Amino acid sequence: MHMADALLTPAVAATMYVASGAVAGMSIHQLKKDDDPRKLPTMAVSAALVFAGQMINYTIPGTGSSGHMCGGMLLSALLGPQAGFLSMIVILAIQSLFFADGGLMALGANVWNMAFYGCFVGYYLIWRPIMRGGTNKAGQRTRIIVSSILGCVLTLQLGAFSVVLETSLSGITDLPLGAFCALMQPIHLAIGLVEGLITAAVLVFVYDSRPELLREVGAASGEGRRSLKATIAILAAVVLVVGGGLSLLASSNPDGLEWALFGNAEAGYSENMGLDEENFGVSSAAADKAGSIQEATSFLPDYAFSGSDSAAGTSVSGIVGSAMVAGAAVLICLGGGFFRKKHAQ
Amino acid sequence: MIEFQHVNFAYEPGRPVIADLSFRIEDGEAVGLIGANGAGKSTVMKLLLGLLQGEGKILVDGRPVNRDSLGEIRRKLGFVLQNSDNQMFMPTVYEDMMFAPLNYGLSREEAERRVDGVLERLGLTELKHRHNHRISGGEKRMAAIATILAMEPEAVLMDEPTSALDPYNRRIVINTIRSLPQTKLITSHDLDMILDTCQRVILMSKGEIVADGPAGVILRDRALLEAQRMELPLSLSGGQAGR
Amino acid sequence: MPLFSAYQRACPMNKMQKALRELGEMDDLAARQSPIHSLSPTAKLLTTIAYIAVVVSFGKYQLSGLIVMVLWPVLLFQISGIPVGLCFYKLRIVLPLVMAVGLFNPLFDRAPMLYLGSLPVSGGAFSMLTLMLKGVLCLMASFLLMATTPIDSLCASLRRLHVPGLLVTLLLLTYRYVGVMTEELAVMTDAYHLRAPGQRGIHVSAWGSFLGQLLLRSMDRAQELYGSMLLRGYHDHFHYALMKPFTVRDGAYAAGCIAAFLLLRLVPAARLLGSLFVR
Repeated sequence: MHMADALLTPAVAATMYVASGAVAGMSIHQLKKDDDPRKLPTMAVSAALVFAGQMINYTIPGTGSSGHMCGGMLLSALLGPQAGFLSMIVILAIQSLFFADGGLMALGANVWNMAFYGCFVGYYLIWRPIMRGGTNKAGQRTRIIVSSILGCVLTLQLGAFSVVLETSLSGITDLPLGAFCALMQPIHLAIGLVEGLITAAVLVFVYDSRPELLREVGAASGEGRRSLKATIAILAAVVLVVGGGLSLLASSNPDGLEWALFGNAEAGYSENMGLDEENFGVSSAAADKAGSIQEATSFLPDYAFSGSDSAAGTSVSGIVGSAMVAGAAVLICLGGGFFRKKHAQ
Repeated sequence: MIEFQHVNFAYEPGRPVIADLSFRIEDGEAVGLIGANGAGKSTVMKLLLGLLQGEGKILVDGRPVNRDSLGEIRRKLGFVLQNSDNQMFMPTVYEDMMFAPLNYGLSREEAERRVDGVLERLGLTELKHRHNHRISGGEKRMAAIATILAMEPEAVLMDEPTSALDPYNRRIVINTIRSLPQTKLITSHDLDMILDTCQRVILMSKGEIVADGPAGVILRDRALLEAQRMELPLSLSGGQAGR
Repeated sequence: MPLFSAYQRACPMNKMQKALRELGEMDDLAARQSPIHSLSPTAKLLTTIAYIAVVVSFGKYQLSGLIVMVLWPVLLFQISGIPVGLCFYKLRIVLPLVMAVGLFNPLFDRAPMLYLGSLPVSGGAFSMLTLMLKGVLCLMASFLLMATTPIDSLCASLRRLHVPGLLVTLLLLTYRYVGVMTEELAVMTDAYHLRAPGQRGIHVSAWGSFLGQLLLRSMDRAQELYGSMLLRGYHDHFHYALMKPFTVRDGAYAAGCIAAFLLLRLVPAARLLGSLFVR
């Protein structure tokens, strides 16, 4: 799910940076308002735990394969959505900087695809409404399991769909959008289920040992309580529509989906960027800003310099020149090595 | 000078961890705080540092430990944690040692001079720019002590300073402790180390003081120690531990 | 010896140990000395971002334009003396992903774009190669940044670039505890597999408790860590000890590099170079 730098154009990458940056700014603001100095070390240790925990292979019974844990849901259940989101940013940054998992440029997109949905959508749409209603211990356990699974499935569906959108908007792949979705969404439905179960297992263990560590657990208040069945029914419908519905639509009518999202591919480019942001609940100010950055940076994608190195221009001279560059690179390597050896002596 | 006056503390009501504890440590004294697991040794440290709040009076240089005096008192007391990983939270030894001096308003140059001085005194200069998660256990313990000494505290508190060290590194730590001029309060199960570093020993059990006196007397009292689930230090038992 | 190999069979180097080794290698590289290491992290960060932005801005068929961009990482590898091996090792993560997306291009975009002798090369093949090269170049750039810049000085420069202090401090602390936690989990994983030979992962009966136990201990650790910060005078903001000044040399380096990238982006250098000799 980690996007690489190469899969994005600067415009899309910058837009995602702005969107993720805005959410990060809001989160920092909220945390400063809460003013709990103990939070910082807890966030750091939890983030490090999730980083390491994502390397654990969990055997999936009945299959030969293994699954991993979903960090966003776990962190927001422990720390709340804002602190969870910032912790996820740091995890993703370390993964991209030290392990080449993701990229410096793609960080904004990765934060959005994995941290935003996992922490904010997962928390406010799934975790909190479901956990609010619980009263007894057995019921709470069921609620934890249900919300972990629903949360992971939903956030992974949204994340996978965003990956598809960002890649397609960047014009990287020739794969039609519908077909791309049809590939991505069902796979992530399965992954989401497994991640949900693993996350549920960890959270239930924490609940049994030290329930006070979890957010919203046992915070049942009189008003706003809904029965578990009703809550699940509503949320399951949301998940089904977003996840299954999207993949169905994609596979049955790929052209329709593409048309709806992209419109006329060239004319509606920047408009559709705006549409995308609205769909995922970014405030319109952020979307506007993203749109203007999009315009400002649009000289970068390939249309602008079409005269200089167009498709037809990839001529023999291009090949010869490239070969010479490659030769120069080899020479630098040899020369440098020679120089260093002499230097060492 | 550190003084406890009738201090009580409990995590849960009805189950006291510290019960009516009173003692006094003079400037320059080196005191070993010993006792079985759960005797309340670590709690004494945390109460003194204001990390926990109990009932009764705790005085440092005549000032009671409370919210107003906390900053000043913590500056005087350097606490070496048992788990060095929890103490050293910056990526490198150098950054960790700079942390306290910079927080206490020293300029970068002053802080750096102080850090270099401590490293040189402890023979750790080559550790300066090493990463905390890539140095050995013995080096890490010494570095943890160095981060505390860089604060130039008036008293040093240590929780199990020799645990999990090999004999060589243990000896280095012991020699370092002995060379410190500060007031010292050390908790440990390593009674040989206590004998080497402290003149006075306070023996605790279930939150109370069982014995308080010269190290040479208490650590020689086989009956007393064994009643508290401890053994004579090896160096005092003629090479035969216990029975 | 047989005992040892039994242990080896039960516990080949696990994922966490590999990650720790990788982390350690990066630390070692960053601790070296070279003209690149001594540059201000701010200058390096800015040039790296500019480089990646320029690389990904090349159009999907602009392979010959992109190829010139190879020179910058190659020069940096040479000047800094960073071995390229570890960088290629990291490609195992980037390339499959990029290829998974790029591999479809030759299937969908079959219009021949150029003939090598009589062999037609389709637009799809071109865009796939371009995409892969982009992947390699971007990886090299960020690898070079991290291999020549210690994390603490990178954090100091992020602070200087007005990244919020909370986030930077969190990054610094998390980086420190990533090492500690990964090591603890590595030991726990070994301990688990020694008692569960033949299992490839964590059995479903231990799904919750395996990480859960560590999680509970971690929360206590966070508490102790907070105490340790307080005892050393922590007051809601961190001081960064390692602050390298941004000198004229750093400015010149950054400006020079960024200007060169833009020039290479605007001028089809490879084609011009080739046309000097062909025709």
